[in-house]
Amino acid sequence: MARMKFLCDVERCIECNACVTACNNENDVPWGMNRRHVVTIKDGERGEKSVSVACMHCTDAPCAAVCPVDCFYTTDDGIVLHDKDLCIGCGYCFYACPFGAPQYPQQEAFGVRGKMDKCTFCAGGPLPDNSEAEYRKYGRNRIAEGKLPLCAEMCATKSLLGGDGNVVSEIYRKRVFNRGGRPLTWSWQTAYSFKEKNK
Amino acid sequence: MKFKLWFTAAAIAGVILYGCYESPDITYHEPGVYKGKEDPLLAKLRQPDRQQQLVERFKKVQTDR
Amino acid sequence: MKQKTWLRRVSAKTAGPDGMNRRTFLRRSGFAVGSGALAGMLPLNLMQKAWAADKSNIPMDGVKTVYRRTVCTHCSVGCGVIAEVQNGVWTGQEPDFESPLNLGSHCPKGASVRHYGMGDRRLKYPLKLVDGQWKRIGWEQAIDEIGDRLLKIRRESGPDALFFCGSSKASNEHSYLQRKFAAFWGSNNCDHQARICHSTTVAGVANTWGYGAMTNSYNDMHNCKGMLFVGSNAAEAHPVAMQHILRGKENGAKMIVVDPRFTRTAAHADVYVRLRPGTDVAFIWGLLWHIFNNGWEDKKYIDQRVWGIDDIRKEVMKWSPGAVEDVTGVPESKMLEVAKIMAENRPGTIVWCMGGTQHHIGNNMTRAYCVFQLALGNIGVSGGGANIFRGHDNVQGATDVGPNCHTLPGYYGLSDGAWQHWARVWDVDYEWLKSRFDMERKYDAGGGKMAYTMNIPGIPVSRWIDGVLEDPQNMSQKGNFRAVFFQGHACNSQTRGPEMKKALEKLEMVVINDPFPTHMSVMSERKNNTYLLPACTQFETTGSVTASNRSIQWREKVMEPLFESIPDHVVLYRLASKLGFADKLFKNIKVSNGEPQIEDILREINRGTWTIGYTGQSPERLQLHAKYRGTFNTTTLKAEGGPCDGDYYGLPWPAWGTPELKHPGTPILYDTSKSVAEGGLCFRARFGTEHNGENLLAEGSYSKGSEIKDGYPEFTYGMLERLGWAGELSDKEMAVIRRVAGISESASGKESSDGKLDKVNWKTDLSGGIQRVAIKHGCAPFGNAKARCVVWTFPDPVPIHREPLYTPRFDLVAKYPTYEDRKAFWRLPTRYQSIQKQDHSQKYPLAFISGRLTEHQGGGAATRSNPWLAKLQPEMFVEINPADANNAGVRHWHYVWLEGAEGGRIKVRAMVTERVGRGVVWTPFHFGGWFQGKDLIDRYPEGSAPFVRGEACNTATTYGYDSVTQMQETKATLCRIQPV
Repeated sequence: MARMKFLCDVERCIECNACVTACNNENDVPWGMNRRHVVTIKDGERGEKSVSVACMHCTDAPCAAVCPVDCFYTTDDGIVLHDKDLCIGCGYCFYACPFGAPQYPQQEAFGVRGKMDKCTFCAGGPLPDNSEAEYRKYGRNRIAEGKLPLCAEMCATKSLLGGDGNVVSEIYRKRVFNRGGRPLTWSWQTAYSFKEKNK
Repeated sequence: MKFKLWFTAAAIAGVILYGCYESPDITYHEPGVYKGKEDPLLAKLRQPDRQQQLVERFKKVQTDR
Repeated sequence: MKQKTWLRRVSAKTAGPDGMNRRTFLRRSGFAVGSGALAGMLPLNLMQKAWAADKSNIPMDGVKTVYRRTVCTHCSVGCGVIAEVQNGVWTGQEPDFESPLNLGSHCPKGASVRHYGMGDRRLKYPLKLVDGQWKRIGWEQAIDEIGDRLLKIRRESGPDALFFCGSSKASNEHSYLQRKFAAFWGSNNCDHQARICHSTTVAGVANTWGYGAMTNSYNDMHNCKGMLFVGSNAAEAHPVAMQHILRGKENGAKMIVVDPRFTRTAAHADVYVRLRPGTDVAFIWGLLWHIFNNGWEDKKYIDQRVWGIDDIRKEVMKWSPGAVEDVTGVPESKMLEVAKIMAENRPGTIVWCMGGTQHHIGNNMTRAYCVFQLALGNIGVSGGGANIFRGHDNVQGATDVGPNCHTLPGYYGLSDGAWQHWARVWDVDYEWLKSRFDMERKYDAGGGKMAYTMNIPGIPVSRWIDGVLEDPQNMSQKGNFRAVFFQGHACNSQTRGPEMKKALEKLEMVVINDPFPTHMSVMSERKNNTYLLPACTQFETTGSVTASNRSIQWREKVMEPLFESIPDHVVLYRLASKLGFADKLFKNIKVSNGEPQIEDILREINRGTWTIGYTGQSPERLQLHAKYRGTFNTTTLKAEGGPCDGDYYGLPWPAWGTPELKHPGTPILYDTSKSVAEGGLCFRARFGTEHNGENLLAEGSYSKGSEIKDGYPEFTYGMLERLGWAGELSDKEMAVIRRVAGISESASGKESSDGKLDKVNWKTDLSGGIQRVAIKHGCAPFGNAKARCVVWTFPDPVPIHREPLYTPRFDLVAKYPTYEDRKAFWRLPTRYQSIQKQDHSQKYPLAFISGRLTEHQGGGAATRSNPWLAKLQPEMFVEINPADANNAGVRHWHYVWLEGAEGGRIKVRAMVTERVGRGVVWTPFHFGGWFQGKDLIDRYPEGSAPFVRGEACNTATTYGYDSVTQMQETKATLCRIQPV
């Protein structure tokens, strides 16, 4: 069975935040939280690059490994989900995750955070598929409808790809090939002294 | 009077003894095994046509057609 | 939880694997802690909304989902939107992957449109300001009061005392109705956002080769070999267009970005050029200097299709590399590199936006860009063109048929002939229409020429405050504005905020008809006679909308109007009824239950807009295109098979003739490689057949399949007669032509009575017969001419560089001065020289420019009321270079006062970044709700304040208006920055 993957093609990402907003829309994410966010390095300088990050649905998920109540499970195609009813809001998964994907909706006395929430690859959670209860707790379940995560489907430049890993890599491979095997942006030519042939 | 005292003491002792009961069948904690509810999505995704449906959706929506 | 279980558990052994279940222990302790915490919950404003409790418009299980396909309401890319509606509630949004324009993609604004259906911050019912408090009133009372006051103002001061501002967000039908409403009210004082956006483009480009619109399309950019972006930040203003641009780049195109800022678009460019704001003409002439110097121009193309290039050569010779570097700051090596890339990578396209248009010489800049492309032979080819990215979703449509103060729908102008044409289309008596206007006396239409206000362009939206504040003696109309009615236009996008506040306070009545309370509702200290009328968004109505590439798309209605909001056409119907001209306004438009039928309005547009070919796009054809949009090729936009086979998506105008002619639309303007019947075209013969003895018609260049194998003038009936084609007109067509000519039915034969019949042309022929016959013979109805590089009717016939009115290089003013002040220009005195002659740069050393953020749109009232967008860009800020920040003592993210050169001040956060060069600062313009340091949240109606508010950058901008169109000079002014 294929693995579900996200890939953000950095050559095309324009830091527009459409992926962030699509997710906020589809899952009605409350103020103060974003399941997905865009990271920009060298903002405003030559070589500026952006990449969209959310839960990477790791194969050996560190969040699942550290959870004291074992509320995580992985589908056969690699989507990492969790049960909010079991979650105790301890925050360990946030420490473990290298991408900062787990987020918490509350900020109250004694460090009470509320139930952990994260990107679900638009696959909902352990409640009946596409029920109102599932929507309220986990957001939309698009995978059950045969659709893919909305962030990838709505990406402005088709930079963020989300779906079967084999198809993702095929698309990305073609793009890299079209680009002549190297990024076409400013700093690459300077760094590697690539001189354009003068016609 | 004495009877009331003994009776109350016996009742309290009884309650404490009842409260101290421990069931012999304990739940073992198995680390790393999911303890939550069953997700109907897993069964759905195991159906053969599902994966193909998702691949077709991908090609329709996310490629530079 | 059972008391006994608690007791039982806690008293058991805790250690070891047989001990208490860790999960239950933690859970209980968490509960205990949590219940304690609930008692002491801190009231954090927005952060602690419980996850599950707060959702609205939730998808309902087991309820049927209806899909409605519409078009995003934000920018001109025209992304398709699929709305999932259940029981009339908008519960979901899907990507419209079948749409050939966006292929399912969205920018954050498009991805957030579902929130319009939640509506928590929208205006819910009509409000009236009474002693500083918003009071709820009913629609009937609102229309009555507003109508009564308008009639009173009309009686006392004439119809020109009302400024009726329409909108680029209104659909074609709504904006057309806005223009018609203004005409029937009796004033040309109507306008919309295009004035402050691309008005200089339309004027400059149309006067160069015929039409002032994007020549190719976003999709066509897949075929580019070179791309030159001047003053365009597509990554933030048109994000989905970047999909096509980056696809083009992956196909091998070289991308060059020229901008004072290193924008997100520049981050993807092959070459980035930093330019001083306001020096675009010098830059382009500097490029042409290298092109002419090396003989890289397309000589054959110029000989056949371009007139006046020698005058350009003379001007370009002055722009040697040294002069260019002095004025623009760009060194010779960079100029040569850019010129070489564009010359060696053809076809190449040029893209410009506000960076090039918003100057007092904007019309010079837009013409310079056109001349550059003409010199390289890049116009009329796939992968080339002048790809002008328009702003709002329907600014193209509103410019084409909507509320422009200088023309009637279709760019017919305001001459008597234009009014007579539209009187015919509207089926009203021309004399009655005239009687609606102020016919008491004539006024100065500019340069001493006297005319009635009916024939003088109205006061544009960029100058409406002067319409209120200027001395009436100096105005070319009866008096000042006494009332304004803003239907869908923000005010924080216009310059000179402090004066705007004064104007608002002086007005007798202010009506704001918008889905959200705009900055105008709070920025002044008005206490009375201000109305907020809730408008519908474009999702609560149906209609057609024109994208930047001239494709027209049909919108389906997603949901019924929320709360008591009313769509624009119904508001106008009610107001026109109150004012007494509804029966005439809607004479040929069916009205049922108080709602005019949208399709009938489009059909009326089809019957009248012959100049730009808005005639073939009937509602039926557009709806068919929407239904089968998946059959269109995503590069050529042509349908391959399917019910729309052969058409181009959205029938991009001109789609000549009647809908029955089934013209497929014109995807690339001026493309002679296709026949006119298949969507090809040549340059328009708009400026006569000769000038100064030189031939203006094309020589040796003509459309494929043209029977006239050379240039020809625009088609008239007389010309058809001379060519011997007049006999091909049907009897029905002839009858209409005779009616248009004013020849009665009884006149016999084909004799042309006093030459009246001869004069009926392709624009006034209401039958479409002249267009049909011309196209049948392979000819373009509007003629075949050369594009002209010299516009002899403009203040600068050959485009030249002039320093901005507020320039940081006062030393260059002597060599590149601005114009003389003018007395009557668009009815108002307009200053140039009197401002520039003073040196403002000592006190205000920083060049101040503004621009777009991808998360917000326009004045921002709508997007800042959407939490999904507001949370991504919550604060107003100014970008300042580290060197300038250190000079001013400013630290990153601390508040500063930005003071404009006319004294307006704004309090914003400083973002210290290398993005802007030294000497330039930049702010976004989307914020509103603050004024000179004060948060105006208390002035908003209860429950309608946007989530995030900030200073409007235009509180600190300055005077300066384009010499042809009155476009405001926002892309080159001055300011200074001080820490708070």
